[in-house]
Amino acid sequence: MASIADFAAAQKPIYHQERPSKTGLMDWLTTVDHKKIGILYGGAGLFWLLIGGLEALLFRIQLAKPDQHIFIGDTYNGLVTMHATTMVFLAVMPMIAGFSNYFVPLMIGARDVAFPRMNAFSWWTFFAGSLTINASLLFCGAFPAAGWTGYAPLTTKEFSGMPIDFWWAGLTLLAVSSMVAGVNFVVTILNLRAPGMTLMRVPVLTWMMLVIQFLLAFSFPPVAVGLILLAFDRTFGTVFYSTGMGGDPHLWQHLFWLFGHPEVYVLILPSMGIVSEILPVFTRRPLFGHHAVIFSGVFIGFVGFGVWGHHMFTAGMGPIADAAFASTTAIVAIPTGVKIFNWIGTMYNSKMTFPTAMLFAISFIPMFTLGGLSGMMHASPPLDLQQHDTYFVVAHFHYVLVGGALQGLFAGFYFYMPKISGKMLNETLGKIHFWVFLIGFNVTFFPMHMLGNHGMPRRIYTYPADAGWNTENLLATGGVFLMAGATLLFVYNLITSLKNGKDAGSDPWDANTLEWMTSSPPPVHNFDFTPVVLSERPLWDHKYTPGMEIPVPEQAEEIHMPSPSWKPMWVSASAGLIIVGLLTFSGIAGIPGWPLCIVGALGVIFSVYAWVTEPV
Amino acid sequence: MSNALRTLSKRLPSLASTAMLLLLAGLATACDEAHPRDAYAHPAADASEISAWFYNMYMVLDTIIFVGVLAAFFIALIKYRKKPGDNTLPEQSFGDPRLEIAWTIVPTLVVLGITVPTLGGLFELAKRPDQNQKIIDIEVTGKQWWWELDYKKEHINTGNEMHVEVGTQVMLHLTSADVIHAWWVPRLSGKRDATPGRSYPLNFRPKEVGSFDGQCAELCGASHALMGIRIIVHPKDGPDSYENWVKHTQEIAAKPTTPAAEAGQKVFMGKGCVACHSISGVSELAVGARSRTSGPNLTHVGSRDYIAAHTLKNTPENIATWVKNPQAVKPGALMTNLGLTDQEAKDVAAFLTSLK
Repeated sequence: MASIADFAAAQKPIYHQERPSKTGLMDWLTTVDHKKIGILYGGAGLFWLLIGGLEALLFRIQLAKPDQHIFIGDTYNGLVTMHATTMVFLAVMPMIAGFSNYFVPLMIGARDVAFPRMNAFSWWTFFAGSLTINASLLFCGAFPAAGWTGYAPLTTKEFSGMPIDFWWAGLTLLAVSSMVAGVNFVVTILNLRAPGMTLMRVPVLTWMMLVIQFLLAFSFPPVAVGLILLAFDRTFGTVFYSTGMGGDPHLWQHLFWLFGHPEVYVLILPSMGIVSEILPVFTRRPLFGHHAVIFSGVFIGFVGFGVWGHHMFTAGMGPIADAAFASTTAIVAIPTGVKIFNWIGTMYNSKMTFPTAMLFAISFIPMFTLGGLSGMMHASPPLDLQQHDTYFVVAHFHYVLVGGALQGLFAGFYFYMPKISGKMLNETLGKIHFWVFLIGFNVTFFPMHMLGNHGMPRRIYTYPADAGWNTENLLATGGVFLMAGATLLFVYNLITSLKNGKDAGSDPWDANTLEWMTSSPPPVHNFDFTPVVLSERPLWDHKYTPGMEIPVPEQAEEIHMPSPSWKPMWVSASAGLIIVGLLTFSGIAGIPGWPLCIVGALGVIFSVYAWVTEPV
Repeated sequence: MSNALRTLSKRLPSLASTAMLLLLAGLATACDEAHPRDAYAHPAADASEISAWFYNMYMVLDTIIFVGVLAAFFIALIKYRKKPGDNTLPEQSFGDPRLEIAWTIVPTLVVLGITVPTLGGLFELAKRPDQNQKIIDIEVTGKQWWWELDYKKEHINTGNEMHVEVGTQVMLHLTSADVIHAWWVPRLSGKRDATPGRSYPLNFRPKEVGSFDGQCAELCGASHALMGIRIIVHPKDGPDSYENWVKHTQEIAAKPTTPAAEAGQKVFMGKGCVACHSISGVSELAVGARSRTSGPNLTHVGSRDYIAAHTLKNTPENIATWVKNPQAVKPGALMTNLGLTDQEAKDVAAFLTSLK
């Protein structure tokens, strides 16, 4: 029988230009290697996950009991706003970008992404954006406090201060970063697949990444437009969102949710992909209804652009628009159901083992189902008029985003870290992490369904003792501590495994896809030879199906890897300067900010010129 | 890794299920609390009854689906584990097109089955009430952070506490003077945004006499949490009837009778309160005058249950606390801190309390 040891016999490729695999500081700053950029994204995502969790912990302490005065008013609103902004844009999205960067090229048998320097540009622009949003705490002593949805006119100059400037500025940079990344990965997945890897042989995770990159590329433009209109309102005195002079606050809601709903699928689809990769490995069977799972993901992506109005049933769009959005939203239940049934179908007639990665992957199924079922209620306007903006909705989207997206990403960490670091994570710590997190998560969010049913709106910093919301709130706060402890344990496990973990080898899980045929961690050029793909489970068939072995060429391949470059970071920094100039346009402490715009614009022109003329 | 930790990880599943049981016990205790704002268990108007009907329908449907999924999930979990020593591969099945078609068509039918009544309920809620009946028309304006209530036909202007009649159609016209707010009294109707520059209707017909609480449901700034609402549904007849309330509220304010209240009126007129608050018969002659700038009309403030938009019980002590330092009660409150002395605050409280 063939084994992956066969690949060790392959000739090392011949570089046309050496690309060092050093890991010095300069190397990280100038890297264009998709694996290093993936690690940067993933590390940043984990860091912000802890910060966003801390923010949640603080405001849950305020809500533990009625009539408390710990974090009140805009301090509380700022914590809530930054918790959501951080978790969505700075924690879950970069973790997804991390997996996407590291594994998409490996899964399709490519040497890097299509545009490696653009990839570095996405990362540095994300980095600048993440700092900008949080910088308001440093410069204004306060967080932006208008909610992550930033409904105008609360965000206009009349009703909010400078923290909102940091908010739109940071989000604009993040939008640029995501749009560029979206285009880059669509091109990568469509064009750089290994020979023989037809679209239906592309792994499900990569398929889901393809769908979300389309969503990123097409859904961020509306919100970027919305943010720029807001910037004009606040900086130059235009009135896009001010009713007094003919503007309309609903314009923001439409632009925001036209982005915001596809964004929700950006957060969940990669985790569905991870689950679809992990289940077959630990059930030792192919993914049941592989094609149906892919097509439902694509379908969810398409429908995602037609359902944004269900966030606005209470806004008064009128019954015709409400009816249209109610119907399109209900349709989402169909492909979602198909996915759930296929995952359970994969479990049947299998021989399951349960390492931590598998535990997180299977607990995704019931937790996400619960979130999906409460979501179906929100598709019904007569019911949503009661549930909108209450804790029922908070419970719903945390079941989807924590029980779904985050648990999927945890599964991904346990499954893929051995490939990234070459070391296994500790399974005992992993199992404690899983159980404590799962319980903490349910103790926190299940009672929130009841809070919503009993009339508690979201985003309120205090509540009267006689409203009947005391027990559930206390439970919810207790659960957050369990989740926080479990997450710290996970980070501890991750860090200590780098040094003490057992060696993983190339293929620790006896897996199916191409990334497991190369060494852990993979060399700079990923594969010593370009694999030829004969089926949707190339590595499995190589090992278990006679006649389907991946051929190892006798000749060494000649390859060219792009050189490290400072230029992407220069462009990001210059773009950041323009944004900082805009947000301090009329000045901080008497020093006008507008000259920064000119410096930044010149910087962009200069560094783009240097970029395009740089030899690679 | 120590042995203790290893044993712990083996026992985790049973520990975890114990924790889940404790959670259920906790929730059962939670059920002992009274839930005065429960929209589904105790709807008190036609609009909230429609929402409650959908809630119950979805709960049945969701429970059936969830139990089914869980059952299939746990059967697989228990039955299809790898036995120790068994290294053979399971059957390599790539799926079954018949199953795929079945579990696409069944959810499609379910979705169709629930969308049709949903659209019915939606249009039912949006229906314009019959104009040939008695309708209580109220213009509601959300403001940071209180509600102005204007009964145009009755010439009544008041704040935060809305009075209506059982069995009579109520039609609210919601708008806002600043940012977006949302009107929500769960037991009477679903919520509706109050948006600046627009006016949206919200209709309901109360079926129960009593007081119903709610609050703003759209983040609207620092004191969003303290923008409460109370709707008092009056009976049709008797001393406490809606008609009597209207008659009483249309009167101008009572003359102060105690020395403290007289002193309070002087403070009210002299220290600046009157710049934002109207009191018919004191600051102007017209009945039902709209507030001049941002503060509520206080003509009958003494008869309200709460002050500061459902934030404090309406007692003289609370009024004194509130007028002395509004920002300490409501963060960011727009009411000016006039620097009243303790005595002045007490007098104002006596005056306002006397405005029954």
